[in-house]
Amino acid sequence: MPTTEDNMLGSLLTALTAAAERSRSAGRTTSERIRRFETEQLTLHVLAATVVFLIVLPVLIAALVSTKRAGIVTSIGDLVPGGHALSNYRRALIGLEFWRFMLNSFVMSVAVVVGKLIVSLLAALVIVYYRFPYKNAVFLFILFTLLLPVPVRFVPLYRLTTELGMGNTFFAITVPYLASATTVFILRQHFLSIPASLVETAKVDGVGPLRFLWSVLIPMSRAVLVGVSVIMFVYTWNQYLWPLVIINAESLQVAQVGLNLLRGQASTGEVAWSMVMTGSILTLLPPLALLVLFRRQLLETFTIQQK
Amino acid sequence: MTDVTLQDVRKEFDGVVAVKNIDLQIPDGAFVTVVGPSGCGKSTTLRLIAGLEQATEGTIQMGNQEVTGVEPKDRDVSMVFQNYALYPHMTARRNITFGMKSAGDFSDEEIDRQVEEATAVLDIDDLLDRKPGELSGGERQRVALGRALVRDPEVFLMDEPLSNLDAKLRIKMRAELAKLHSEFETTTIYVTHDQTEAMTLGDRVVVMNDGRIQQVDSPQRLYDYPETRFVAEFIGDPAMNMLSVDISRDGTEYEAVGPTFRIPLPEADGLETAAGAQALLGIRPESLSVADSADRSSFPAEVTVTEPLGDSLLLECRTGDQEFKLHAEPRTAVEPGDRVALTVETERLHLFDPQTGEAIYHAAAAQSPEVTSTVDSTI
Repeated sequence: MPTTEDNMLGSLLTALTAAAERSRSAGRTTSERIRRFETEQLTLHVLAATVVFLIVLPVLIAALVSTKRAGIVTSIGDLVPGGHALSNYRRALIGLEFWRFMLNSFVMSVAVVVGKLIVSLLAALVIVYYRFPYKNAVFLFILFTLLLPVPVRFVPLYRLTTELGMGNTFFAITVPYLASATTVFILRQHFLSIPASLVETAKVDGVGPLRFLWSVLIPMSRAVLVGVSVIMFVYTWNQYLWPLVIINAESLQVAQVGLNLLRGQASTGEVAWSMVMTGSILTLLPPLALLVLFRRQLLETFTIQQK
Repeated sequence: MTDVTLQDVRKEFDGVVAVKNIDLQIPDGAFVTVVGPSGCGKSTTLRLIAGLEQATEGTIQMGNQEVTGVEPKDRDVSMVFQNYALYPHMTARRNITFGMKSAGDFSDEEIDRQVEEATAVLDIDDLLDRKPGELSGGERQRVALGRALVRDPEVFLMDEPLSNLDAKLRIKMRAELAKLHSEFETTTIYVTHDQTEAMTLGDRVVVMNDGRIQQVDSPQRLYDYPETRFVAEFIGDPAMNMLSVDISRDGTEYEAVGPTFRIPLPEADGLETAAGAQALLGIRPESLSVADSADRSSFPAEVTVTEPLGDSLLLECRTGDQEFKLHAEPRTAVEPGDRVALTVETERLHLFDPQTGEAIYHAAAAQSPEVTSTVDSTI
């Protein structure tokens, strides 16, 4: 009997040691895995931070320079923030009337966004929900216009605008931007993701197309509409060349061109880079505010574009 | 309420024929189910009636009016979809009233009254302020039904309305749909791929396959007198067994002869022409049973699979090289590999033409000879 007991105890002990050994070695691999995971994460974060820093650097320098009196940077020491921020911004906005350019840009951008939305919503509605011959060809033709951005159309557009008597008017910087293949495309993709049975129910119930657009499609597309509106706003806000070409009157000019005029002001005396940077930062603020406010909807819109 | 008549209706999509010249009459106030496998053209037929698709050929009539080419909104129909088709941003109440308000055919008081009535019937009064996202599948389907009900249409069209619900809820909603129909008696056309739904709900069942109507009949007659092999195999679960046989005749006695069995066939129409030729013998699984002892009318088979269902024992058997299924008594002591003797309820046999698949003989007709005369492809 004692021998059997010894045997049993012995085998139990071996089993326990083996189990302990297993758990110890398992523990080692787990902690190793965690450590490797942490290193990977750290590398990733450092890399991401570096890239973000490099991208933001010019904006940071501009922001720093806008706080200085002269704003000429020749050494690292010149990058210490100056104490002229308030006076610089006041001088640019009020003294040099930069607010007027910003207002013009704002009105232009809002008008283009609203116009584009109306045109694109109607176009997408027709393309998705109506049956007409060569529908796909028409849609492809709309996409084809993406190959002809505004700068390519400058010469004919200039003639057309001036001959219509719209040169040097508010219409000249809004109407040419109203049709947007990108927006039609994004809205089409979104409408296609809405179940067909919704529109069929509406058809059977006698809901008209415009009422369907207003009461069903637009509310169901709210996030996408906000997203494309932000994209369109930033795009319009950043327009430079066309307003420069078609607008002569300073009172109608937009912010991006106005920046140039700020430099012109400065170059009469000492080159006041700080003034140019102040203007640049001011110009940056509205799009930045929109991007921060509506980043969720923007991301949603970009995922649609990928579909 | 109105009757619906389809005459020689054909629908092609880019050269693919979805519906092949069908004729169908749906009487006023009937509940007609259309059943068939996917792609058989049943949904297309429903959409043609709704006006969501336009027929390539043929005419559709509602009441005395021809509606071919008429817009869906002018046909006075309501449709319920499989995915409910509720507007996700609107409350249940708005979903129900949106169509009515848009059409402008109803006054506000009328809308309120109709909504109150319909929601009371469907028991959704306290859900009206919720959005579809806050409702369960069954509740959403009730709201969708409510939306169809309030418009008080001439015809209800339902496209697999219960398919997205779980099994239990489906059975409950099925009973409620039947109750709703008996209450409102609106002509209803109900498309489904589920034969149980088709059989339990329909006064008349339309079986479709490959763009054609195979048979239109009451559920029981469809089961008892299938006109084609397709209907015989589609209706009933497990499907009707098909065994290749030769029909032999000895005076006035007929027999279905297989390699391992001889089954006597009661005399009825069609046997004379079938005699001496090959045919498919159709036997429902419940018409076969395990015999206590082998005798003249039984035949031997080998059990290959046993599936206890509780209320019966489903056996898969083989005789010669032919396989078939049968419902045996529960707790029958058989194992796979056992050899058993089987007897057949001879009054429930069918014969089909092996080439065309058309029914040539129903044994049950021997008991009720008058039924064959009322079988026709319309209702």
